Amino acid sequence: MNYFIESLLAAFSLITSLDANIYRIVLTSVSISITATLIAALLAIPAGVAMALNNFKGKTSLQHILNTLMSMPTVVIGLLLYGLFSRLGPLGNWGLLYTPTAVIIAEAILIFPIMMNLTIAAVNSADPRLVPTLISLGARPFTLTIHVIRATRYAILAALVTGFGRAIGEVGAAMMLGGNIEGFTRTMTTAIALETSKGEFELGLALGLLLLIIAFALNFTLSWLNKS
Amino acid sequence: MTSAYKLSDITLKPQNKIILTIPQLTVNSGQCLALLGENGAGKTSLINLLAFTHRANHGSIRLFDQVVGSKLKPSQRRRIGLVHQQPYLLPGTVADNIRLALSLQGVKRLHIPELTQQALKQVNLIALADQAANTLSGGELKRVAIARAIAYQPDILLLDEPFSHLDHRHIQLLEDSINHFAQQKGKTVIFSTHDRFQAQALASATINLVAGKITASPLLNHYHGKLDQHFFDTGKMIIHVTSELTYARHLAVDPREIIVSPQPLKSSMRNSFSGRLILIAEEGHAIRLTIQCAERFHVIISPEALASLNLSLGDTIWLSFKSTAVTVF
Repeated sequence: MNYFIESLLAAFSLITSLDANIYRIVLTSVSISITATLIAALLAIPAGVAMALNNFKGKTSLQHILNTLMSMPTVVIGLLLYGLFSRLGPLGNWGLLYTPTAVIIAEAILIFPIMMNLTIAAVNSADPRLVPTLISLGARPFTLTIHVIRATRYAILAALVTGFGRAIGEVGAAMMLGGNIEGFTRTMTTAIALETSKGEFELGLALGLLLLIIAFALNFTLSWLNKS
Repeated sequence: MTSAYKLSDITLKPQNKIILTIPQLTVNSGQCLALLGENGAGKTSLINLLAFTHRANHGSIRLFDQVVGSKLKPSQRRRIGLVHQQPYLLPGTVADNIRLALSLQGVKRLHIPELTQQALKQVNLIALADQAANTLSGGELKRVAIARAIAYQPDILLLDEPFSHLDHRHIQLLEDSINHFAQQKGKTVIFSTHDRFQAQALASATINLVAGKITASPLLNHYHGKLDQHFFDTGKMIIHVTSELTYARHLAVDPREIIVSPQPLKSSMRNSFSGRLILIAEEGHAIRLTIQCAERFHVIISPEALASLNLSLGDTIWLSFKSTAVTVF
């Protein structure tokens, strides 16, 4: 028990002393996750709105595929992209393996179905009179999408926050594609895994606490968004 | 005279249940029309078809003598203003909603402030311009929705049940707003209602809708039942009809074609019933009598006829009408 409490205290002092090493890792993690979230959002939100607003053949099947992708194990994405990006893979000469870009691509792919699904749910739960009203007022497909996003912006922002939360807590793909290179691709989750296996429990714990704080902050934001 | 709408051969059947069948309907421009029918008769569906927010499964609608393709052109969309039964206002202020409609319709930015003011003035709501849309009362909401629909100066204004759930004062204000638009030259107004008096107060003509079909006669004497050759059985009485139809579920008797007499008439008329006079009411420039026979009948007569008949409530009187005064469908 002493071991645990001592480690916890050491972790706190690491956080409060603004240990440069720790904050570099946090910064890497946050910037990778934000970039991945923005890229995924740029694609998932319009796609989600378009899918919610249109009826087409195969819509239900597509919905099933999206639901399946939402629970796709992250190591599988890591594995597939590893195959693509490794020297012998089809995209090997791009030199992406073990770079932040590779991690960003993996995280974006991982959270795309989540964000798209949540966007679909957001539009479907909007007032049923919203779309007919906009159409009767002359909205065309592009302006319709813009105004539907505007009217459901809180729910769509919640989709963004959820995606970011998933990306920052992800470890499998980040490890396989980033390679956990210090100061380059070392994220909070991969660092925790490494430090713990090295026996550096304090550092791992400090990062874990910070990750928890981020998760709390995100959840508070989410519940605040749901209220508005 | 140009026609605002020309419908032909329309069938609307979402999920294989027929909601509307309209073989032919022309609406002349410059008219104020009431769409009269009970709940579920298809009024909202017809309004949505006319607004092109829903499409019929079969048939075509011409808008100002132009065929409408699979997509309504923006220039055609701009000619139609639609007010839903429970209008939806977007987040923001009253003026925001009107500005949004103007910009969606492609009105030049330069003209938006002026047209916004003009629209609010027409519904007498300038004072509410900066109020948040979600704080409006039911009556104000409808008038804002009208302002939003007429802001871009459409040629047609469609209103779905504009007067439902409103108190008398707000109905009056709403009528003023609609009248203000209708009196402009060449403007067409179509509104749905289940209230005959409301229809007569505002409209110059009515379209009667029963179970998804347009009927010629006003829906005063409307009965459900079964047609068997030349007899229609309502369950309470049998009425003679002349119709080539072999199947019909509805029957309507034109209230102006019924003759009232204190004694049975000797005539060629096939239908003759007696009943108790239970209501005498003034309706516009005419008199409406309600007579309780096996079914309840309404008859419209002139004030002069009322005076000469010397009727009083509770009298037993005779009703006679030709089988050609009867429509079955």
